[in-house]
Amino acid sequence: MRSIWAITYKEFIHIARDRRTLVLLILMPMMQLMIYGYGINTDVKHLPTYVYDQDRSYLSRRLINAFTQSDYFTVKAQVTSLSQAYSALDRGFAQSALVIPPDFSANLIKKKTAQVQLLIDGTDSTPANVALDASQAIVNAFMQNERLIPVQVFPIDFRPRLWYNPDLKSTYFMLPGLIGLVLQFLVPMITASAIVREKERGNIEQLLVTPIKPYELILGKIIPYIAIGVIIATSIITTMHYLFVVPIKGSIVTLFFLTLVYLIVCLGIGLWASTVADNQQQASQIVMFFAMPSILLSGFIFPTGSMPVWVRDISYFIPMTYFLKIVRGIILKGMGFFDLVDQVWPLLLMAFLVIVFSIRRFSKRMA
Amino acid sequence: MTKDKVCVMPDTAISADKLTKRFGKFTAVNEVTFEIPYGSIFGFLGANGAGKSTTIRMLCGILEPTSGNGQVGGFDVQTQPEQIKTVIGYVSQRFSLYSDLNVAENLLFYGQIYGLSGTPLTSRIREVLALTGLDPFRQRLAGDLSGGMKQKLAIANAILHNPKIIFLDEPTAGLDPLSRRAIWELLYQLAEGGTSLFVTTHYMEEAERCNTIAFISDGKLLKIGQPSDLRQQLSDQILEVACQPLMKASRLFLKLEGVRGVTVYGTTLNLNVTDQKAVEERVKTSAGKEGIVISSIKSIPASLEDVFSDLDKGRKADA
Repeated sequence: MRSIWAITYKEFIHIARDRRTLVLLILMPMMQLMIYGYGINTDVKHLPTYVYDQDRSYLSRRLINAFTQSDYFTVKAQVTSLSQAYSALDRGFAQSALVIPPDFSANLIKKKTAQVQLLIDGTDSTPANVALDASQAIVNAFMQNERLIPVQVFPIDFRPRLWYNPDLKSTYFMLPGLIGLVLQFLVPMITASAIVREKERGNIEQLLVTPIKPYELILGKIIPYIAIGVIIATSIITTMHYLFVVPIKGSIVTLFFLTLVYLIVCLGIGLWASTVADNQQQASQIVMFFAMPSILLSGFIFPTGSMPVWVRDISYFIPMTYFLKIVRGIILKGMGFFDLVDQVWPLLLMAFLVIVFSIRRFSKRMA
Repeated sequence: MTKDKVCVMPDTAISADKLTKRFGKFTAVNEVTFEIPYGSIFGFLGANGAGKSTTIRMLCGILEPTSGNGQVGGFDVQTQPEQIKTVIGYVSQRFSLYSDLNVAENLLFYGQIYGLSGTPLTSRIREVLALTGLDPFRQRLAGDLSGGMKQKLAIANAILHNPKIIFLDEPTAGLDPLSRRAIWELLYQLAEGGTSLFVTTHYMEEAERCNTIAFISDGKLLKIGQPSDLRQQLSDQILEVACQPLMKASRLFLKLEGVRGVTVYGTTLNLNVTDQKAVEERVKTSAGKEGIVISSIKSIPASLEDVFSDLDKGRKADA
């Protein structure tokens, strides 16, 4: 027990004196938070739009207004020729162009079909889809508001409702997931390099000739990084809640407990990497090798449901897959421990296996 | 009766009996056998890669022997490696304490690992700091210490838990002569206190300071004995020739009958010979023919270096 404490204390001294790692530990989570919180916004809003209004009438202005008021489109420029609009799309100044022909209001007044064209840059499918749906809704509403079509009565009163994230804010979706992402990146990295560093600098040779037991060494080295992991998780949760105002619907205790389980899995990955790697560079390469598929396949950005079956099967072996369901479940849906049992037991199993495996691999004899 | 059986040979600190380590087809240590009593300094000599470190690692319980037996402090190398670790100190070849911890923190850490704590630990740390003269540097980071002080710290660290057996793997490699002497003075003090020291070294003049020395080459123990005895075996076999030009003479003398080896020193050659009188004549005649000027030629006592190079040449001739 005293040996474990001695190792832990020594490890904290290492951390405190290693400025570079310390900066990484503080900066990386905050940077990620800012990037995902402010920068990466999958909400499609304020699409830069060029308008070629040849009609210049009261109605055409009303239509343009309807587009801008929706928040989906922002008029960047009024142009006076089609080629100007085309070149704006080509060169990326605009992502959509609204073309209103000269006979627009004349036709409407004559109760004839008037034409309006919206050109959308379809290179990136997500905003293009959103713009497409939004434009249709805007034009429908415009027609009703301006009484261009009779008020319709539908046989089905269809009322879709968005639950858990009614405003479809991407921060609600991304930021809880970020806890999983940052822990998956940082924790194995710092754990692996802390252990590999002892190999690299020859410290392990001195430790091996002491009567310390492998489990004491591993626990002693792990404890500081569990603490750091908890601090990182806490700082992300706090910033997410207070700065980005993501409500936490579920129990904070459950959230912390399950984060701890996930942390142990992450530590285990680092431990395992350290038994394979000979130097810190190799260790971080191994960690990166596993972190990349975790980000892409766990459902952090792309939902696992829409993946081909064999890819989804891979995602079952990724701890982050389960943890993402847990954090999003607790934070956004207010799920409790027992609602999440299907996610909890695979994580617990992984934590157990990876720790036992690593301690077994860590032998006090040299090869 | 039973009591006698328990303490078999209480004077023996370290023993090896046909200790062998193979890495695949390569035999690093080949049936090495020796015995070291408490309170003595055992010098383990050999070239790089001769098997010195491998032997130490087996005896320290961090490398499993392929075959053979070993006992360290009464514990078996094969079956009780963890018990061995409690009774030995170890100074590795490469500085292996924590560079980013200061002197006191390193000692505190290892003291705790060895199960010491509280006042006994702090007073013991004070003791070893005083013994090694590191007391003024207790707050300095280990990484900022000079080479000699680093080794002193490593030794201070190795004796923290009062082990009766200490392994030192080239404790003076790369140090200046003054630091080397300081380290050896420290080792003598420890040996006087009854500690058994197992030291590997490249330096022959350091080997002279040991009670017993053993030569190892390509994993085989070539010779073991007291330094004076080993030198005695080579007596009347070393001829010191002062001559000019040196390199030409060295090549010439090596070809002469009865010359087993030539070592070049500053202005003299040491000839390892079988029959002194006959060789002296041959040297003089051939030097005259080739225009080499001999200023003096005399018989000198063998140094350990001569012993070592002789052993090494003999072994290579056998092979």
